[in-house]
Amino acid sequence: MTNKFKQAYQQAPWRRQLRSFGISVLPVIAIGLVIALYLVVSAQSAAAGLQIMGMHYDEEEILRQIAIHRTELGWMTSYNEMQKRARKIGYDIPPAEAVHFMTIPGYQGQGAVLIAPPPGADAQGAPLVNEFYQQSLWDWFVDTFLVDSTAASGGVK
Amino acid sequence: MNKSGVSRLIVIGSLLSAASLLIVFQMVRIQGSTRHQELSRWADEQYSYAIENYYPERGNIYDRWGRLLAGNEDVYEVGLMLQYVTNPSTIAQTMDGVNDLIYKDILENASKAYDPKKSIYAVLTDFLPSGVVDVLSEIKQQYEIENPYGRDSKKPSLRGVVWYPHLKRSYPENSLASNIIGFYSFRDRQDGIGYYGVEEYYDDLLAGSPMETFMPRNPYMLEGLPEVPAGASLVLTIDREIQAMVEKKLDDAVKENEADYGVVIIMDPRNGEILAMASQPRINLNQYWETEDQFKDKTPYNRAISETYEPGSVFKVLTMSAAMDAGAVDEKTIFNDPGRFEYGGGIVYNWDRRGHGKQDMQGCMQKSLNVCLAWVATELGKDKFYEYMQAYGIGRMTNVDLGGEKIWPFSVPGDSDWYPIQLVTNSFGQGVAVTPIQLATSVSAVANGGKMMKPHVLKAIIQDGKQYNTSPQVLGVPIKPETAHALSEMLVKSLANETSLALVPGYTISGKTGTAEIPVEGKYGTDQTNASFVGWGPADNPQFLVYVWIARPKKSPWGSVVAAPLFRDIVKELVVYLDIPPETAQNNLVAKEG
Repeated sequence: MTNKFKQAYQQAPWRRQLRSFGISVLPVIAIGLVIALYLVVSAQSAAAGLQIMGMHYDEEEILRQIAIHRTELGWMTSYNEMQKRARKIGYDIPPAEAVHFMTIPGYQGQGAVLIAPPPGADAQGAPLVNEFYQQSLWDWFVDTFLVDSTAASGGVK
Repeated sequence: MNKSGVSRLIVIGSLLSAASLLIVFQMVRIQGSTRHQELSRWADEQYSYAIENYYPERGNIYDRWGRLLAGNEDVYEVGLMLQYVTNPSTIAQTMDGVNDLIYKDILENASKAYDPKKSIYAVLTDFLPSGVVDVLSEIKQQYEIENPYGRDSKKPSLRGVVWYPHLKRSYPENSLASNIIGFYSFRDRQDGIGYYGVEEYYDDLLAGSPMETFMPRNPYMLEGLPEVPAGASLVLTIDREIQAMVEKKLDDAVKENEADYGVVIIMDPRNGEILAMASQPRINLNQYWETEDQFKDKTPYNRAISETYEPGSVFKVLTMSAAMDAGAVDEKTIFNDPGRFEYGGGIVYNWDRRGHGKQDMQGCMQKSLNVCLAWVATELGKDKFYEYMQAYGIGRMTNVDLGGEKIWPFSVPGDSDWYPIQLVTNSFGQGVAVTPIQLATSVSAVANGGKMMKPHVLKAIIQDGKQYNTSPQVLGVPIKPETAHALSEMLVKSLANETSLALVPGYTISGKTGTAEIPVEGKYGTDQTNASFVGWGPADNPQFLVYVWIARPKKSPWGSVVAAPLFRDIVKELVVYLDIPPETAQNNLVAKEG
């Protein structure tokens, strides 16, 4: 009778096996999820890093091109070239006696050349690599769930 | 579950646990082994970082209005990756004549056997313009289409030919202002340095700091990009248009007067800025390696700062200013000129070997009387005279910011090579040697109300994206402002009275001619002279000082005939460039504005 009673209230063996299997697999699934999340973040981070590297080389190339174009412009506007072009379109240097001076209201004369801004003309530059790409998973977790929640609840108690 | 099922699970579990433990054990063993450390270090060196030798772009040089005087352009090194060369004769045929390459040499290079330890890459040529490389690239592509991977050795192929871009110094103005700019030895790609002028003086600034950078290959390790600042760019005080005008006029004058060479300096006495500095000879800076051919027999690269010479009568400006400042003489002091002056065991004569009778100080300067100035120096006394000369910086470097400045030691009382007669010879510019920049700087004190400014060519530095303007520096105040004004006025009158060839219509100019005899075999004579003129204007508000020196003119030995007209021709155009209207026009403009 006792055996019969127990049998009535026991779960089916396949259910118990499934539960045991589920309990034992749960940590594996949890670890798998963390790994997957880590992989996604890492992959994004690596992609961003590679992009930065690529942009670094692009920047070097652009700076080189700027230098080259600036020099080309220098050659095209050199003294002799400008003289040739001026003569070609009918200009010539007048004798000093032919120069007339006149007052132009408001004209202050040619100002000093300013090829770059003077010191203190702008604020400090932003960091090159965004902080977002330097976060560890833990940093992200703390920033997202702990720091933000504290801030939302009113900050310091 | 029966007993046999449980024991099976225990066995499997034990086996898996044992395997896990073994794996952990092996991991710990590997981690702790010395081989692991070696391998780890090797992997770090090989794969963690890419080491890049970075040579920052050399800074540009601009004139005062931002016009490029020195920049950088791209050129290519062409070489052979021997492993991939399939047809050496095609390479030799294609490259024959490019940058003076010879077929035989190219073929020899291209036929070298590939050896991974010894022979991987061979340089064919360098500094190839981008246009030539574009053509080469097209030919290579065409051959590649016709003969992919150069598989058929009988068909033409340029496989193995590679090219790498790099920057090369470039001077768009060629020889213009070459004496000021100097040059960078860009053909020595690793060890290039600046020679002469600005390129030498500011070499460290222009070059920046070449450095070895570690670029992480692992993107996770990329925390910040290596920052390699480019070399600083420089803005000079030189005005390209004025420099070109002065160089042309100097060349013409030297040719016309059949002289050996000449120098012209234009500076702003108010702040020491050098607006133009012309010297001979000059070179095309893009072919700087021809310097040795052009500057034979120790010819200075820039005579304006490196060649010392006896200045002659222009030096009288300094003697007279010293005497007037010390109160030894004034404008009205009268000197009875006998035509000869005995002092210190020697006799000095006037340039015409004649006496000129009673002369005031203006007359002495106007007629450029050596005897009078010798007397003035003795009135001043040797101690005071040399004190003033040292205050003017005679015998000392001006420290102008150009590479290669030279001086000649100035003997003063107490030195073993000083004799009493030198007081009187020095008073009219003989027995003393100066560079043109030294004399121009000293005289600029008279033009600038007694204040002597440091001569310089640097107006601004551009570094890290910011422009830092330089400030003028005072070298000293050798004379009082009233002395400077009185002497300037005296020199205006003396020029006007002698109807000098230096006069510029419409402008009041102060100035002094100089004719210094050059000793030949120890004897002075008028066969060979240094003709010079120093002048500044407008006299009431000097904005420019022009110093002209013509060496050994054959048409006429006199500064008043050779140097003064060149001064006038230069100033006539200079006032236009500097927007200085003639006095009549200024009066009209003031009247209209009133």
